[in-house]
Amino acid sequence: MNTNQSKILVMVFITGLFLVSCNNNAVTEKSASNATEEIKGEEVAVLTDAPNVPPQITRDYATKVIVNLEVIEKVMKISDSTDYAFWTFGGKVPGKFIRVREGDLVDFTLINMPDSKVSHNIDLHAVNGPGGGAAVTNVAPGQSARFQFKAINPGLYVYHCATGPVGMHIANGMYGLIMVEPKSGMTKVDKEYYVMQGDFYTKGKFEAKGLQEFDQDKAVAEHPDYVLFNGRVRSSTGANAFPATVGETVRLYAGNGGPNLVSSFHVIGEIFDKVYVEGGDQVNTNVQTTLIPSGGSSIVEMKLQIPGVLNIVDHSIFRTFHKGALAQIKVTGNEDPAIFSKIK
Amino acid sequence: MSFAQRNAVIVAKKMHHIPMGYYKPFFVTKNNKPLKVTAFKMDEFAVTNVEFLEFVIANPAWRKTKVNKLFADTNYLRYWEHDIVIGKKNKNIYNSPVVDVSWFAAQAYCKWKNKRLPTVAEWELAGNAKPKNIKINSLTEYILGWYKKPNLFVLPNVKTTYQNEFGLYDMHGLIWEWTFNFNSFISNGDSRGNTQDEQKAFCAAGSINVADRTDYAGFLRFSYRGSLKGNYCIANLGFRCAK
Repeated sequence: MNTNQSKILVMVFITGLFLVSCNNNAVTEKSASNATEEIKGEEVAVLTDAPNVPPQITRDYATKVIVNLEVIEKVMKISDSTDYAFWTFGGKVPGKFIRVREGDLVDFTLINMPDSKVSHNIDLHAVNGPGGGAAVTNVAPGQSARFQFKAINPGLYVYHCATGPVGMHIANGMYGLIMVEPKSGMTKVDKEYYVMQGDFYTKGKFEAKGLQEFDQDKAVAEHPDYVLFNGRVRSSTGANAFPATVGETVRLYAGNGGPNLVSSFHVIGEIFDKVYVEGGDQVNTNVQTTLIPSGGSSIVEMKLQIPGVLNIVDHSIFRTFHKGALAQIKVTGNEDPAIFSKIK
Repeated sequence: MSFAQRNAVIVAKKMHHIPMGYYKPFFVTKNNKPLKVTAFKMDEFAVTNVEFLEFVIANPAWRKTKVNKLFADTNYLRYWEHDIVIGKKNKNIYNSPVVDVSWFAAQAYCKWKNKRLPTVAEWELAGNAKPKNIKINSLTEYILGWYKKPNLFVLPNVKTTYQNEFGLYDMHGLIWEWTFNFNSFISNGDSRGNTQDEQKAFCAAGSINVADRTDYAGFLRFSYRGSLKGNYCIANLGFRCAK
């Protein structure tokens, strides 16, 4: 290597350092400005069950957002023939979708219903603070706990119960999503849906009849009987498929509660025009399958060209064919032979 | 007091001898060794509604409209019809465990009986004994089976689950029970532990330092106790006394 080459390398190295430190400063400054942004007024958060998402935020200022979330232990169908004693945030799996804006002050109350058997808490990955809130929210049945946090970092975050045994609480369905919209807002799309994957472990096999209990050994071995979108076999297929029309852009807020499996998130017959990688700022384009870690998320967008049924799957594909990992988007509208047609 | 209520009163309550034993703490730390528990006596079954009625009749300060709110929250005896009336609608639960009672009330009851609440170590030692009148694969599974079922609309009577080798009824599967030092271990709401003391107790996925990491029932009991405060009155939380 000659002297010139060395100099160039050194320059590149120094420039690299400079860029890195610049980026770091940018993040620090952003967080600092979020922490000090003035809070104007207050509002009660609209919470929704999957597949619905609360309306997009139109505010251009930070406010105090009041969130009241109930923990409900409840026997529900995990498949048409099978019951399961779910532990839920708000009565469904996944838990209620929470939507706030970057800079908002969130005044959060977790209520454990009086007829619950066990205590519960909440860890929101959107929180900068001890246990994501879990440290201050271990709530006995019939009690509640309140804390507040500043939503400093925009993105799509998982929340879940973190009471011991943590894995069991998550395996019983205790997870959901909170979206912290960036200050700049999000682009308008035609349809937004909430879909969250989770793996379930039961004493009986897939779709065994009757009330099936949580199976601890299978959970530890990471051998689920069910891998589901929105907490139930066929929760979002057929008549319950997410409706959309040709020409529309659909955005999915996709989360993965786990407790164990990483999702190979894929939509058969569509390409993700945009993926907000891991639910953060970085946008990838033209993606076929995106990984969603357990305890992680992704925002995907696709413009629909062709009518028909789009199957949302975990492309770790046995999970789809044997364990229930299937949801659907039903697209209506006109064919477009220029894009797709069968040749006779 | 109605005739039915009076009639349902249980006159003498058996206590069973629990021999000296060692309780292996749920959380393993550098300093804690198996704890020697000296011999003690424990109530055969949980304190029932009619037994507790005797107590509030004798101690007006513990009636639901009179109780000091520092010592019992607003749910105290909420399903009772009135101060000294359990009520007709509750006729099936006279002999069921009294619930919706605070730690202070439980402690006062035991003191009135010349007894006390069992410690966590005593309770756990007594509760770990095997069932003798039912067949089960594992006690942990049996207990988890209870946690997984939603609360019954009517709480069953005492002595309806199982009797263990010490002669004690319903140590698991009917209600949660107060212990004297319920809050002495977990001080932090996050059961995964953020403090120096507790990082040994739980890690995020569960359990590197727990004595038996498959003891999910034990986990749940410790998390539950950690969420309590002395004035809480909860629908599935009762007590029995020790001596």
